[in-house]
Amino acid sequence: MQDQLNALKLEAEQAIVQAADVVVLNELEVKFLGRKGELTSLLKGLAGVSAEDRPKLGALANEIKLSLERAVALRREGFEQEALSKLAESERVDVTEPGKAPLQGHIHIVSQAIDEITDIFSKIGFTRTRNPEVDWDWYAFESLNMPGDHPARDEWETFFMDAPVSKKGKMVLTPHTSNAQAHELERGEFPVRMINIGKCYRRQIDVTHVPMFHQFEGLCVDKNISISHLRGVLDYFAREFFGPDRKTRLRPFHFRFTEPSFEIDISCGVCGGTGIGADKQKCRVCKRGWLELGGAGMVHPNVLKASGVDPNVYSGFAFGWGVERTYMMKEGMKLDDIRTLYKNDLRFLQQF
Amino acid sequence: MNSLVSYDWLSEYVDLSKVTPDEFARRMSLSGPAVEKIIPQGKDLDGIVVGFVTEVKPHPNADKLRLATVNAGEKGMLSIVCGGSNLAQNQWVAVALVGSRVRWHGEGDLITLVPTEIRGIPSEGMICAANEIGLFDAFPHSEREILDFGIALPEMNVKAGTPVADALGLSSDSVMDIEVTSNRVDAMGMVGMAREAAAILDEKFLWKESKVLAPKKGKAEKGNLSAKILAKEACTRYMAVRMEGVTLNTTPWWMKRRLLSAGIRPINIAVDISNYVMLELAQPIHIFDADAVKGGLQIRYAQADESILALDGKIYTLPDSVLVIADAEKPVAIAGVMGGEMSGVKSQSSSIIIEVATFDEVIIRRGSRKLNIQTDAQLRYEKGLSTAAPAFALARAVELLTELTGAKVVGEVVDLGQTMYKAKSYSITSDEVNRQIGITMTQKSMVDILKRLGFAVKTVGKKIQVTVPWWRDHDIEDGRDFVEEIARIQGYASIPAEIPFGLMPRPIDQELVWERRIRETSKMLGMTEIYSYSFVSEALLTKAGYDPKRMLYVQNPLTADFAVMRTTLLPSLLEIAAQNQERFTEQRLFEVANVYYPQSETWNTLPDEQLEIGALFIGMDEAWRAAKGYVENILSSLGLHEVAWKRLSGDSFWHPGRSVQAFYKGDLVATVGEVSPALLKNFKLERAAMVDIPLEKILPHASSTKTYHPDSVFPEAKRDLAIVIDRHVEYDDIARAIRRVDPLIRGVEWFDTYEGQHVAPGKKSLAMHLVFSHADRTLESAEVDALMERLLLALKEHFKAELRG
Repeated sequence: MQDQLNALKLEAEQAIVQAADVVVLNELEVKFLGRKGELTSLLKGLAGVSAEDRPKLGALANEIKLSLERAVALRREGFEQEALSKLAESERVDVTEPGKAPLQGHIHIVSQAIDEITDIFSKIGFTRTRNPEVDWDWYAFESLNMPGDHPARDEWETFFMDAPVSKKGKMVLTPHTSNAQAHELERGEFPVRMINIGKCYRRQIDVTHVPMFHQFEGLCVDKNISISHLRGVLDYFAREFFGPDRKTRLRPFHFRFTEPSFEIDISCGVCGGTGIGADKQKCRVCKRGWLELGGAGMVHPNVLKASGVDPNVYSGFAFGWGVERTYMMKEGMKLDDIRTLYKNDLRFLQQF
Repeated sequence: MNSLVSYDWLSEYVDLSKVTPDEFARRMSLSGPAVEKIIPQGKDLDGIVVGFVTEVKPHPNADKLRLATVNAGEKGMLSIVCGGSNLAQNQWVAVALVGSRVRWHGEGDLITLVPTEIRGIPSEGMICAANEIGLFDAFPHSEREILDFGIALPEMNVKAGTPVADALGLSSDSVMDIEVTSNRVDAMGMVGMAREAAAILDEKFLWKESKVLAPKKGKAEKGNLSAKILAKEACTRYMAVRMEGVTLNTTPWWMKRRLLSAGIRPINIAVDISNYVMLELAQPIHIFDADAVKGGLQIRYAQADESILALDGKIYTLPDSVLVIADAEKPVAIAGVMGGEMSGVKSQSSSIIIEVATFDEVIIRRGSRKLNIQTDAQLRYEKGLSTAAPAFALARAVELLTELTGAKVVGEVVDLGQTMYKAKSYSITSDEVNRQIGITMTQKSMVDILKRLGFAVKTVGKKIQVTVPWWRDHDIEDGRDFVEEIARIQGYASIPAEIPFGLMPRPIDQELVWERRIRETSKMLGMTEIYSYSFVSEALLTKAGYDPKRMLYVQNPLTADFAVMRTTLLPSLLEIAAQNQERFTEQRLFEVANVYYPQSETWNTLPDEQLEIGALFIGMDEAWRAAKGYVENILSSLGLHEVAWKRLSGDSFWHPGRSVQAFYKGDLVATVGEVSPALLKNFKLERAAMVDIPLEKILPHASSTKTYHPDSVFPEAKRDLAIVIDRHVEYDDIARAIRRVDPLIRGVEWFDTYEGQHVAPGKKSLAMHLVFSHADRTLESAEVDALMERLLLALKEHFKAELRG
């Protein structure tokens, strides 16, 4: 019995060491150590052994079992090590092939610009509002101190609707977001800190104009609002939107609904405001170091009065700029043709 | 409007000796008119000198060429081959030296001259025609004629070898391209610009007005001028005077040069003077040939069937809203816009009428737009001019004509309309100025600034009383306007920047919040956002099966493509998908935008602007399922979890067998499905699915509140079920029936529908995952078996369902 056990051990040990692969090893494990394996069937013979020898043989069998189990584990680990060491080769893939693209969506850059502008102004308490795109002349022009014969009210500048004239004048497609001013002031809730972003319409289409575009209109009306506050807000916006090293300046300009009116310039990001490019030539992007950002001004007293606000008590500032233009200035994006934004060519849209 | 301003000319009216052009540009831009460009003059004339022709010999090898010896001063005597037809000995000419740049025969790009041989004879330069060195407008000439300074510029007195740019007085000048805002027509003239510069730079203003002509009374001379204003509201002042004995001398170079610097081509002395005065004073002037005017002048609207041959050589038919100057027979000028060819000053004219008028800006603007003419005069008139200006401009024109043509005023000065001028006056307090600007300035510095700008100022306590000079009477409308005048001259850069604080922001409109979330969700779902125009063509709507009749029309659309305010986003999406189809077979598009619904039949109220979502899916398996998946996701992101789906039929836009609508608490919240093949064909598309979500209708139900449901700690039991049913029986009904069987059935999840082999015709096989669970314990296998039996029984009873074998 003892010899048989030792012989089995020897045979098993040899077989385990010589096992070619893990499949063979698994078979050997079943063959020698399985429930119906050779060691088990040998141990059935213990019943016929003398009571005196039985413990000794039992201990031996147990020892052999443990030893074989260790050998199997060792061999298995060997195989695993071997497999792992060959992994680089056996499971090699061409990792320079592209990844599998997840379904990629795209938000239009105009939406992205609107979101960014909304967020910047919301941090200083300007709440975005919504206002009509199709509106009465009163809101689009009359309340904004634009006289009836103002060029903007001519039929070649503004779209009129095929609708009857009402008490508030003709029905028009608002040519600017400034129509929000009277709508907002009429609510009579002060102070006003509004940012209106929306669609505007003008009768122009060429490489630099589209008949539908977007503006953002800021309006701040309270007691004692001065040019100083306008400067503060515009400086803040320019830094947040364009970067901390950019500066703004005000230049005199003329708009009907503000007095005084300003043109806001921002220092050129390409030449750093020097007006001289890297090639020592005149900067191609800006005019003498500055770029025109858009118009602004102090709300004209007539605009306040038109909405029943006392200009002796309240004052304010307003600004209204093109979303598309402002965003392109930021990105340094050069669109040869602004109509590209509304052509909806997927090759363009899917770049953003 | 941009003005081209010669620095040299301007410095005659304002002392610019202490500033450089660069500094001028910077300081002016910050306080007034913006200088956009500085263009140095005479740069193209580098290396081109005045030469004196000492000898002309024939060219041995060419008939049309000759050999000139030219004294070029320091460069010595040059031998030059020249083809000029008018080349002659003792002639002063422009010589382009080797290395300078010329434009051959006035065409093409500038070419740098190199030493060359022409027909075998070396040439050490080139004797230029005016058009070869960019001077054609200054000195027009015929083909093959070289520039002969003796004739072109008799007053020139320089040595041979002098650079042409110096001889012409160009090298010391720069032209500034300056943007002048539309309210400041005064600054569109050199005098007004000088006045601005004097105030901004705090330098001396040097202009002196010409002596205004006193209207002569009585003494009716032969041919006395008569005029009548028949359209009083359109012509607020009309001045005219006759001058006789005009000699049309060559316009002196200094005047030509100034006209050219402003971009105006010299014509003849009379026309040049009228343009010159306009450039100086921003008041247009017109000069007629008196002999071409029959009888008295009338200022009236055009009459039926009238037309005019204008100075641009075109015949204009005049609508009756256009104002004209007419003689007894016909219009002789389009008032404020352009003169007539027939009454223009010609070389033989010796008797002229000078007209200086004030016209209504709107009538001029609308008239010129109707006729589609833009002129320097009209651009100034449409900004609005003062009725005080004509007297000064007329005086200046008479002064120049007298001096340069020898003409004399004959008869009385016609002066009609508002001949008496009353200056406007407004006041403001120094406190108000400081409050508006946000700084503290003394009243004295405010008054100083206003005076520098030409305002007459008195103060009473804190009140500043200001009289407005005539040249500012259109742009100053209120005392409040002085805030800007003071602030800009003081300098905006000196105003501190401050953010207003202490306000409680208002809550944002929820629609804006949802709109943004929907865009973000859509992007995550692989959708590409498009932006299409709010107005579309009738043709597009019709193509997509919509009737534009009840929609809002644009009265004056740019083109038929932008004519109708849409009530649906879907046609534009179809059009865009079609445009992209060639490059992108698979497309997932969406748009979130307003549509414009009528609120009344007659459009006497504004349209109801409703925010909607439109989406389109094309080029994938079962596009309708992708579309529905999108809708389910969007609705669920809006917090609408329990929607009822109802098959849609009878709507010709949608596919009759493949479209469905979602309802939430009875409200329609989405329509989704394939588009009818009949319409898709119009767009050359196949199998497109679309989505129409009336966002505004949904938002009252929307909620971003999320509730936590603890998961059962006991394991769920899962079973699959496949049944065979009639193909018209709908999954939604089956799923609902299953759920109704027992609350222990927690989930029904579709995973396959099959028709075809092994399934009887007219039947379909429907396969689902079912989930069972109990809140308080683990379900026994037998319990689940029993539930399966019961639900199968229910399906058999209601739908004649058979368990699939």
